[in-house]
Amino acid sequence: MVFAWKSAGLSYNRYLAIASRVVRRSLKEDKRIIAERRGETDLRFAKWSNGKQGESKNLVDANSSAMAANAGSSS
Amino acid sequence: MWHDGWQMDMHDIKLTLALPHQAIYKSQGVVQVNIPAESGDMGVLANHVPAIEQLKPGMIEVVEDGGSSKRYFLSGGFATVQPGSVMSVNAVEGYPLEDFSADAVRAQITEAQKVANGGGSEQDVAEAKIELEVLESLQAVLK
Repeated sequence: MVFAWKSAGLSYNRYLAIASRVVRRSLKEDKRIIAERRGETDLRFAKWSNGKQGESKNLVDANSSAMAANAGSSS
Repeated sequence: MWHDGWQMDMHDIKLTLALPHQAIYKSQGVVQVNIPAESGDMGVLANHVPAIEQLKPGMIEVVEDGGSSKRYFLSGGFATVQPGSVMSVNAVEGYPLEDFSADAVRAQITEAQKVANGGGSEQDVAEAKIELEVLESLQAVLK
């Protein structure tokens, strides 16, 4: 069985983040405001090779370009 | 009589329902847990065979001692059943059904449908379809 999110090039992690975001947005006003603060993430990473640090990248940007590259190829 | 022992502890399953930011149940004895597994909806009682199930975004129902049941909507995750009537459910988001706004769900369905049927990138369309799947599941259980 191939999941729809997988054939669209999304990672499971990304799929869960989207599903969770939409769950938070469906809450009643008071709970929603508290919950939505949890959805914001910001992370930078760098790949190390041969003892040297590579370029520092934003995780969200790197993920979306990887997803675009994977789209359609994982069926 | 046999049914007098039905609610005894030995017939309970110990449930942990954990989110990254909160534990809703922490190794609490309950009678039954109904989960929305990818392989189909299933009910778990004490002495269930060990299992690992991926969860769809959907409703989990916990039947507590005494027969009252609590219903939560989870955004997706995993459930594991271990030997000795121990069960763990891990999800990213989970709220009791009464915390949701049917109006917010309806508004988002309209919005997501526009994107899903629009001319956006393959990724935008895929994300909108995931949102629709979650929202429609949520709308169905809120009724």
